[in-house]
Amino acid sequence: MSENSSDKPAIREVRLGATRAEGGTREVSYVIGGEQGLPFCGNDPGRRLVALEICDDPAIWPPVVRNYVGDLANNPEDWAEAAERRYGADLVRLNFTSAKKRGFDAFAEIASTTERVLAATTRPLIIEGSNDPQVDSEVFRRCGEAGEGERLLLGTAEADRYRSVAAAALAYGHLVIAQSPIDVNLAKQLNILLRETGVPEDRIVIDPYTGALGYGFEYSYSVMERIRLAALAGDGDLAMPMISAPTDTLTIREVREAVPEEQDAMAVAWEFYTAYSAFVAGASIVSVRHPLTVERLKKVLEA
Amino acid sequence: MAMKALDIYKHLPKTNCKKCGYPTCLAFAMKLAVGKADIEACPDIDPGAKALLGGVTRPPVRAVTIGAGERSVTVGEEFVMFRHEKTFYHPPGIMVEVSDTWPDDEVRSVVAEVREAVVERVGQDLVLNGVAVRNESGDADRFAETVYLAGGGTGLPLVLISDDLPGFEAALAVAGQYRPLIHAATADNWEPLAALAKQYGSPLVVRAGTLADLAALAGNCAGAGVADLLLDPAQGSLQGYIATATAIRRSAIERTEPALGYPIYLDAGTFKDTDAAVAAGILKYAGVIVTPRLSRASREAALTLRQNTYTDPQHPIQVAPGVYPVNDPGREAPVLLTVNFSLTYFTILGYLEASRMPCHLLIVDTEGLSVLTSVAGGKLTETIVADALKKFGVADLVDHRLLIIPGYAAPLTGKIEDATGWRVMVGPRDAADLPEYLEKEWKT
Repeated sequence: MSENSSDKPAIREVRLGATRAEGGTREVSYVIGGEQGLPFCGNDPGRRLVALEICDDPAIWPPVVRNYVGDLANNPEDWAEAAERRYGADLVRLNFTSAKKRGFDAFAEIASTTERVLAATTRPLIIEGSNDPQVDSEVFRRCGEAGEGERLLLGTAEADRYRSVAAAALAYGHLVIAQSPIDVNLAKQLNILLRETGVPEDRIVIDPYTGALGYGFEYSYSVMERIRLAALAGDGDLAMPMISAPTDTLTIREVREAVPEEQDAMAVAWEFYTAYSAFVAGASIVSVRHPLTVERLKKVLEA
Repeated sequence: MAMKALDIYKHLPKTNCKKCGYPTCLAFAMKLAVGKADIEACPDIDPGAKALLGGVTRPPVRAVTIGAGERSVTVGEEFVMFRHEKTFYHPPGIMVEVSDTWPDDEVRSVVAEVREAVVERVGQDLVLNGVAVRNESGDADRFAETVYLAGGGTGLPLVLISDDLPGFEAALAVAGQYRPLIHAATADNWEPLAALAKQYGSPLVVRAGTLADLAALAGNCAGAGVADLLLDPAQGSLQGYIATATAIRRSAIERTEPALGYPIYLDAGTFKDTDAAVAAGILKYAGVIVTPRLSRASREAALTLRQNTYTDPQHPIQVAPGVYPVNDPGREAPVLLTVNFSLTYFTILGYLEASRMPCHLLIVDTEGLSVLTSVAGGKLTETIVADALKKFGVADLVDHRLLIIPGYAAPLTGKIEDATGWRVMVGPRDAADLPEYLEKEWKT
C-alpha cells in the first residue's frame, strides 16, 4: 500500500484563523492536516472541524433551515454567535448570498457584515462569495480587507475564476478554498495554477465538490479517497487538507417532500450521513447547514 | 499473493475430466486465478496441491450466505480496498435487533418493518435484510420462542446472539435449518459453538479484540470444520472499528493472513451514535451490520448510502435520454438541455423542482459523462443535440425554438444553432443558479 512511513507529514498542515498573538483577533486558531495515514487509521492526528454555514440573505437558503433558526436567519451576526455558542460549531462559514443577486453593488455592506460577524464569533471564519468573477473580485477585496490578519478561509476558487480569490488572499494574508468538479486531475491542476499565482501551498484547502447523498455522493466520496491516497503516495500537488460542503443535501427531494413533523429529522439524517462519510473519506472540515447536524457531528468526533 | 492461471494449471491433474464444471483444466485454472471458482470442485487433485491452491485461489474475502430462500443475503467475496479500484460487490446485510425480553407485539412489529419497509431509488428497491435476536432473558426457551416469533428464519435471515450454550441449542432447534448467523464464538466457548455451527451448517461469528486473537479463533473454527465465518473485531470506538476493519480487509486482499479472509461483523448499537456506526460499517468493510431499530429518516439515508457505496464506479448510474417534464410544463415552457450523468441530472432536477418553474428537461446521451468532461471529450456535440431534439420530438412539445444549454457547453453555441436551427441561450454553469437565471432571462 501507499502510506508514507516517514515522520514528515504527508498532508500539509494549514493554520486557519489567527489569535491576537498571531496577528488577528480570534480566541482560537486551528491547525488541520498532518495526516500520514488513512482517515481514522494510524498516524491520523484526528483534526476534524465542523463548520455551520450561515448567509447574509436567506431568500435562497433551504427552507428547513430557515424554519429551524427562525429570526436568526435575518441577522448574520446573531446567527454566527448562535452557531458557535448555542450549536457548538468549530467555525462559521459566511455565505454572501446577497452577492448572487443580479446587479449586486452593495459592496460596503460586505465589509461591514464581515466585521460584525468577526466580532460576534471568537472562532475562525470561512467566507463564500458569489459565482460571478467580476462581483467576486470586489466582494473578496472588501471582506479580505475587513478581515486582514484573521487568516480567513476564502472560497471558492475555481479553474476559471480563481484570480480574485487568490488576489485577496495574497493581499490580506488569507487562505483559499480550491474547488474543482469531482476529478483528481482537475484538483491537481487548480492547485498548480494557484501556486503559480503565488498562493503558498500551506494556504490552500482542497474542495473536490460534494454531491448530495443519493444524488452522486459516491463520486465525491471516491474522489476524496483518491486525492488522499495520491497525497499519501507522495503527490505534493494534492497534499492539502480537504473541505467538504454537502450543500445540495438539504434541497433533495426526500427532505423537501418530508411531512412537516419529520422535516428536521430527515434533513439531519441525510446531512449527517453525508457529512460523516466525508470525514471517513478524508475531509478535515465539513460545512453543514442544519444546526442539529453540527451537534451530532461534534459528539461523534469527540467520542 | 494471487497466482497466475498457468501457475495454477501446473498443479491441476490435467485430465480435462469436466467434473469441476469447466470444459478443461486450463479453463478451471483461469476461473481459479480470478477467485471465481472453488478448488474443492476438482475431485482428483492431490491434497498437497489443494492446500497450496486453496489459500491463493479463493476470493480474498470468503463469500458467506446467511438465511435461506429469497431474502437470504450473501456477503463478502470482495477483491479491493477502495471502491474506485474496481467495485464493491456485496452490500452489507443490515439486521435489526430484537430482544427476547420484549413483549411479543414489539418483536412482531420490528419483524414486519424489516419485511415490508422498502426505499425505492433510481429503479432499485432498497431493503433491510434481517432480524437479530438477542438472548437477554437468560432463558433458553424464551430465546427459542422469540426466534420462532421472528419467523424462525423461514422468511428473513436471522442472527442469533447469546452467550449461553443452551440458548443456542434451543434456538437452533427452531431455526437451524435456515442458516442463521451465530454470534459469537470466543476464546472460551468456540469448541462447542463450532460443533453446533458444523452440525447445522450455519455461519459463525468469531469475536476477539485483537487481529492475532481473531485469526487464531477463525483458524480454530475453520479447523473444526466451519467454513463460513465472520469476524467481529469487538471495538469500543468508531475510530477503532475503522482502523481494525481496514487492517482486516488489507490483510485479506493482500492474503497475508488467510484466517482473516472473512467478512466483518459490526454491532452498531454498541457505539454512542448508531447512525455514525452504520455509516462506518457501510463505508468500511462490514459484511453484517446489526443495529437497533432505525427511524425512517435514518433508514432511508443508510440504505441510500449503502446503494451509493456499492454502485459500480465503472458503470455510473445513467439517466435514460429523453425529454422529462418538470413541474407540469406547457408549450411556452423553456427547454433545458443537459447530460445523462445521474449526478448532473439529479442536481438540476432538485433545483428546478424546488423553484416550481415549469420546464422541459432534455437529457442527451453522453455515456454518463458530466457536462465538463463530455464537452472536453467530444461526447456532447451539435450532432448529438440535433439528433436528440429530433428523436424525442421536442419541436412538437413547444411553440418556441429556444434551447438553454449548460454554461460549460457555451463553446458549442454556434455549432448547435447551425445544426439545429434553434436559438441557443447559455445557462449558468452551476445548477444552483438556474432558478434565478430562468426568472430573469426566460421570456419567449
